[in-house]
Amino acid sequence: MPQLTGGRVLREALRGQAGRITGSALLSTGHQAGEAMVPVVIGMVVDRAVGTGSSSELLLWLAVLGAVFLTLSFSFRFGARLGERAAEQAGHLLRVRLTDRVLDRRGGADTGRLPGALASVATSDAARVGMIALVLPLGVAGILGLVVGAVALLRVSLPLGLLVLFGTPLMMGLAHVLGRPLQRRSEVEQDRIAHTAGLAADMVGGLRVLKGIGAERAAAERYRLSSRAALTATVHAARAKSWHDGTLLAVNGLFLAVVALVGGRLAADGTISIGALIAAVGMAQYLIGPLSMLVWVNGELAQGRGSAVRIAEVLASAPAVGGDAPLPGPVTGRLAVRGLTHAGLRGLDLDVTAGQLVGLVTADPAHAEALVDLLGREREPDSGTITLDGHDLSTLDPEAVRGALLVAAHDADLFEGTLRDNVVAPAGSNGNGPGLPHQRTSPADTHGLLSAALAASGADEVAATLDGGVDGALAERGRSLSGGQRQRVALARALAADAPVLVLHEPTTAVDAVTELHIVHGVRRLREGRTTIVITTSPALLAAADTVHFVADGALTASGTHEQLVREHTGYRATVLA
Amino acid sequence: MTEQRELLPTATGRQTAAALRALLRPRRWLAAAGLLVLTAATAVGLAVAPLLGHVVDLVTSGAPASSITTPVVALAVVAVLSGAATAYGLTLIARLGEGALAELRERFLDRALRLPLGQVERAGSGDLTSRAGNDLNAVASVVRSGLPELARSLLAIGLTIAGLAVLDWRFMLAALLAAPVQLYTVWWYGGRALPLYARQRIAVGAQQQQLLETIGGAPTVRALRRREQHLGRVTARSQDAVDLTMRGVNLVTRFYARLNLAEFIGLSAVLATGFLLVRSGEVTIGAATAAALYFHNLFTPVNIALGLIDDVQAATAALVRIVGVADLPEPVAPPAPRTPADASLHADAVSHAYTADRPVLHEVTIAVPAGQRVALVGASGAGKSTLAGLVAGVHEPTSGSIRVGGVGIGDLDPSGRRAVALITQEVYVFAGTLAEDLRLARPDATDAELTAALERVGAAEWAAALPDGLSTVVGEGGHRLTAAQAQQLALARLVLADPAVAVLDEATAEAGSAGARVLEASVAAALHGRTGLLVAHRLTQAALADRVVVLDAGRIVESGSHDELREAPDGRYAELWRAWSGRREQDA
Repeated sequence: MPQLTGGRVLREALRGQAGRITGSALLSTGHQAGEAMVPVVIGMVVDRAVGTGSSSELLLWLAVLGAVFLTLSFSFRFGARLGERAAEQAGHLLRVRLTDRVLDRRGGADTGRLPGALASVATSDAARVGMIALVLPLGVAGILGLVVGAVALLRVSLPLGLLVLFGTPLMMGLAHVLGRPLQRRSEVEQDRIAHTAGLAADMVGGLRVLKGIGAERAAAERYRLSSRAALTATVHAARAKSWHDGTLLAVNGLFLAVVALVGGRLAADGTISIGALIAAVGMAQYLIGPLSMLVWVNGELAQGRGSAVRIAEVLASAPAVGGDAPLPGPVTGRLAVRGLTHAGLRGLDLDVTAGQLVGLVTADPAHAEALVDLLGREREPDSGTITLDGHDLSTLDPEAVRGALLVAAHDADLFEGTLRDNVVAPAGSNGNGPGLPHQRTSPADTHGLLSAALAASGADEVAATLDGGVDGALAERGRSLSGGQRQRVALARALAADAPVLVLHEPTTAVDAVTELHIVHGVRRLREGRTTIVITTSPALLAAADTVHFVADGALTASGTHEQLVREHTGYRATVLA
Repeated sequence: MTEQRELLPTATGRQTAAALRALLRPRRWLAAAGLLVLTAATAVGLAVAPLLGHVVDLVTSGAPASSITTPVVALAVVAVLSGAATAYGLTLIARLGEGALAELRERFLDRALRLPLGQVERAGSGDLTSRAGNDLNAVASVVRSGLPELARSLLAIGLTIAGLAVLDWRFMLAALLAAPVQLYTVWWYGGRALPLYARQRIAVGAQQQQLLETIGGAPTVRALRRREQHLGRVTARSQDAVDLTMRGVNLVTRFYARLNLAEFIGLSAVLATGFLLVRSGEVTIGAATAAALYFHNLFTPVNIALGLIDDVQAATAALVRIVGVADLPEPVAPPAPRTPADASLHADAVSHAYTADRPVLHEVTIAVPAGQRVALVGASGAGKSTLAGLVAGVHEPTSGSIRVGGVGIGDLDPSGRRAVALITQEVYVFAGTLAEDLRLARPDATDAELTAALERVGAAEWAAALPDGLSTVVGEGGHRLTAAQAQQLALARLVLADPAVAVLDEATAEAGSAGARVLEASVAAALHGRTGLLVAHRLTQAALADRVVVLDAGRIVESGSHDELREAPDGRYAELWRAWSGRREQDA
């Protein structure tokens, strides 16, 4: 497969909409030509009918005018629709493709990129590349509109036609040069304005915090100062823009005067007709339209190319992990870590007996994060191996690994939907990869699992507070719940997945001591006989573990029961009971 | 815990009009001058068509080529004058609009920040936020770009019609033949566009939200192997947005098709009128030409003005929501504000219910002597946060009283130093520099005082390591702080605000357990010398308090020092402590 470039992303997106783009180009051209013809036909009516008093000529040319309007109106209507549809559809397809890449089992697209930035690639950048499908036909139409106007003009009068054709772009260039310093100044001031626009929402967003410390007046005063500064900036910017517009208007008017002068003299000489004069004046006004459209199209194309490059970068990101071998089942849940070196871990060796509840304490929280990343197959280790039942995780299909070994990260997200959908994935959406060692569960089992998981995690109490209980809705990312409630639902979800090996990372930091104790008993009971690793510093959880491993300075330092370690190991005591 | 939504008020048409008049009254001379200059600019611009018509007349009457010079010079003068006048007029209108807008947004925010929190929460947090964000932006964008364009277009339309009448009143009548079609089109469009665009905005918002959720949660989606489900959700929501956008496009293109028809009717009528009037010798060919050009020049301003109608409607809908908040009556100040005698805290027989049939607290009585610290312990839903909120004055208790230094919470002087401060687990970093964020708590604090506050809560080290120190831009769009850093920032604000009583509601909960230990030291430092009420998750916090109060189902079930409660046989707290400190229960 050749290297994925911005150009290729762009070409593929456009090729997918080729039919619509062609249709839109044809129709938009018809529209432009129609707009160009209106002043010409007005000139003809004056020339042939008003000047001569011939009723039949009047009717004839009004009929022509009607035909012109019919053409321009219908071609605009359907040309715009085709173009917009092409743009929207191309953007949509890119959006889906980007999401698909981000969610890929091998990961890598979201490494080192902020979610907001990635989401903006999938919305703004995808839309901008799509936009090219809309502006391309308009560009074609603009050029053809210019040609039609030029031909029409040159046929009435060569010198006048040349004047208008060369004068119009010249005049626009002049206006642009005159307006540029003003425009630049206003762009600088735009930043200042944008800042204040966000400030009000920001302060209202922090209303509870402001009220908590009685800072309402200070906040209002700060906003007032910012608002005043923005007012000065906006008035400056508006003044710059007004003079820019005024200059454009004046230059345009002066050019019209020149056209009238030359055209008028030619008409007075009898070189051209009155109709030709009117058409030339009209055309001088009309040409501004397609010309400014071309300037706009050019800007959009440049932006679209930049967006396509950003999209290509995301689509072509290197996978974070490899491996494609299937995992032979059934999984017993024996885990062995050898010489693991990664982000602070230095040659970690660790053995987890199948079926045990194991506590894992790291003196440095960063080491816990590193282990979570490695076990969840989000990263490849710098060196060393993790094996499950003797199979090296790095060689296995990541999807198959996750089916057998579920890592519930501390910062795992909840999703919009019902509590039930969060805990148990709707049928048909789960486990779609080949080489899956785990059997699909029946609906009855699912229901049993759901209620057992809810009870063990204390999420049944969360369900009780929702309208509709288990079928009650959660807002996006579960934000309608408190931190502690979210944590319990995420734990229920991890338990309900019923994986042969379950890794829980700090599952109880946001719950109160009463609930934590309840959860400890629940997890212990529900995971009886299957491997469960709890990475935590919480004494309540560690006390319930069969074995606890203590990792300090990136290597295994001590193992034993929680009580033994508390008694015998100063470093462990300092980490867990500080 | 769902409650009946009770949205913040929206203004009636009459209130909105009154608010607008109040904003415009001090600026009436600016408004008059702006309007006058813009009218003059438009009027001067209208001389172009008759001047061109005059050129046509000169040519048809066989005048010498040199005679063209005079109207052409006039054209040049007109160009320069109308350009300059337009620029000046637009500047005046911008000063008018922006000034009024600034005053409106400041009044809104000032009032919004002083709304009782209970009222904001009953309305749902989104209500006020969307007024401060979307609604202010909608009004600003219309004032900034819509209003000047609308003013110019309407002036152009009005004066062009007048110009047609000056040429010959029958031209004006002919041009007005287009009006019924245009009015009908606007009516037809307005009824369909607003609801459709509202749905489209919702769909686009939902698409954006889904992408943020799916992409932000990508590791979770991968871990749970829910890729297909999420891809399906993104596809469905994106397709929804596309379909609604296309419906909008269809509507707009039909709108313009109807306006094209109006253009044709008007233009034909003007041309035919010209034909008849020239034939009967009542006007010159030049006048007929000018009339046709006038009408042709109307196409653009008419399209602009009619196209802006839905923007203006949307801005009006936003405006009533802004004025609704900005015009709320001021909260009543206590008739005789008093200053607390000391830093003691008393809650006497406090009961509370958010909804009448579901009481959350029952007759809770707690006395905290000045400078002491009490930890609240209990399961979720036991009423800890409710009690904390009542003490901090966020809600008013259904019955019972809360006093600080002997003064009821409602009788405290609202303009004086804050007597009770509340910090919750909700971390929030305000957009702006770190210094600006801290000065919200004490506006006149010096840099040295800010640094001292950061140092006290153990935040000086990372704050100094920020790219620009205290001037580093943090919050939305700025340097990202960790949850623990943000919470230390909140504690530094507490130090600066310097209240006698501090209420901390799980202020260490979001930081994870390793971060929590660091924060506990910060909390202890911030509370030094204050009366403290702490809702504690980690029992180490409770162990350090002077007294521990265990709440269960809204009632106090145990109260005493950590050591007393720990030793109590069969005590709730004793059981928790055993589990917490990792000593297995005897039978285990």
